[in-house]
Amino acid sequence: MVDEYQRLWETVTRDPGHLAFLPLGEHLRRRGELESAARVAVGGLEQHPELADGHDLYARILTDMGDFEAADEEWRVALEVDPHHPGANKGLGFLRFRGGDLDEALEHLENALAAAPTDQAVVRALHAVRDAVNDAQLEQSTDPISGASAQDLVFTGLAGSDEGMLLVDQRGRILGGRLRVPPTGDVSEPVAAYLAGATQEAERTSRMLELGEWQWIVGEGPSGNIYVTPPTDETLLVILRDRGVPGGRLAMLAERAGAAARQWLMRQSL
Amino acid sequence: MRTTRAVEGWTLVPLERFIMESGARLALLMTPAGQVLAQHGFTRAVDVMSAAALGAAIVSSTGEIAKMMDEPEFRALNHQGVEHGIFLAGFETLRGRLLALVVYGTDSSMGLVELFFQTLKAELVAACPVEERREPVLAADFEHELNASLGSLFGR
Amino acid sequence: MTTRFRLALDSITRVRGVHGALLVAGDDGLIIAEALMEKVNGKAVAALAASLAKRLRRSMEACKAGAPHFMHLQAQDGTLVVVPAPDGVLVVTVGDARMNVGLVRLEMLRAAEALA
Repeated sequence: MVDEYQRLWETVTRDPGHLAFLPLGEHLRRRGELESAARVAVGGLEQHPELADGHDLYARILTDMGDFEAADEEWRVALEVDPHHPGANKGLGFLRFRGGDLDEALEHLENALAAAPTDQAVVRALHAVRDAVNDAQLEQSTDPISGASAQDLVFTGLAGSDEGMLLVDQRGRILGGRLRVPPTGDVSEPVAAYLAGATQEAERTSRMLELGEWQWIVGEGPSGNIYVTPPTDETLLVILRDRGVPGGRLAMLAERAGAAARQWLMRQSL
Repeated sequence: MRTTRAVEGWTLVPLERFIMESGARLALLMTPAGQVLAQHGFTRAVDVMSAAALGAAIVSSTGEIAKMMDEPEFRALNHQGVEHGIFLAGFETLRGRLLALVVYGTDSSMGLVELFFQTLKAELVAACPVEERREPVLAADFEHELNASLGSLFGR
Repeated sequence: MTTRFRLALDSITRVRGVHGALLVAGDDGLIIAEALMEKVNGKAVAALAASLAKRLRRSMEACKAGAPHFMHLQAQDGTLVVVPAPDGVLVVTVGDARMNVGLVRLEMLRAAEALA
């Protein structure tokens, strides 16, 4: 590692514009040598002003220095060069979360996850932001008379509406309903996140195998059955039931829940 | 960095589509001599150069084994690890033979990579311009050409 | 294809509306054995069905329903059904929208058991 570091130093000293400035700057940043890291990053960016990775590196150094405003600017430049850059989206997600702008934080982190789906740091950050969003929504939407939140109102009156029905958007964000499984409790978040991927796969499978538009998926497991269907073009309905509930009854339930979801969505758009 | 970059512009859209559909983590398009036309997912120039050289060497040596066995060629090579798989395949275009080196993780599969590689191959063959006659690269120009290519591959 | 595999798939393809049945390596999405109508792209069915099964399994594990033993994708003009068999093998059936899923399910579960 020392040799590698030495080699990077020599390369960048010889040619400040060499792309080795990226690993060298990151190495210095991690060691806490922020001034040196900043000099290396700025030297590299002078030669590569259009390199998104260079702006991402410099922004991370600035964040470590506590200069969030300048870091924000650098990450925005990185996104102008490469709108899908995961590092820049992750960084801006962090800054927006820090500034209390949860919606924009979610947007950036979801973009980061789309570009780097296996980045566990992004997954953890997304969970944290979603939890914060849910808490904020719950606080705002509590009905003063019944005490019910908007999340509970989508499927009101349907059997299992408060624990086995969930409405999510195409990106895996919860719109209403809840999935609760004893003894774990609320599993809505992870299910929503994973189902977004599963339904994209269903859409692609149907398209590529020329099966026509997909209508629903059923999965039967040892501890429960799941039914997923799109009540509208932009949403997904998930029904989770005990394995003893027959498929036909699940389909009927999904039909009624789908109608309820469509009505609720219409009310929201008015 | 998980972006797609190309030295030869006509390779960019097919490679981007392949990455999106197959879920591959890393990809290189190159000539049998190891000259890189496009890359996805590599963060360091040194990794691109090493991967291209190793990929080209593997194809070359398996090609020799194929000759010994009187096989016209091996179409593709797959290595499956615990967390990653490697797919290496060659195909003919108007610009001669090209190679693709793909690394994929557990969120993809050998089947998906092979399936969408067929589409990538067809799209590249269709998009490939006729080769212009090239002057031989002089030793003095070589480094300049190499740096220019690396610049394109890393967004200069 | 070995006799054991052929018998397992033949009993499925005899059901009306079935266009093909395959045994697929679940992790790789590659065909182990197939009995398909000419128009069916076996490689695509294998790769896509395995990927869909993997993603649906993650969703079901997230909601504590356990690893699925039966998956059914219903589309406007077709049906795809997946049943996991031992050793990471998937039994996959593709058919038209009106395929008798009850009967297919029975035959697929039998095929999966026969592979054990």
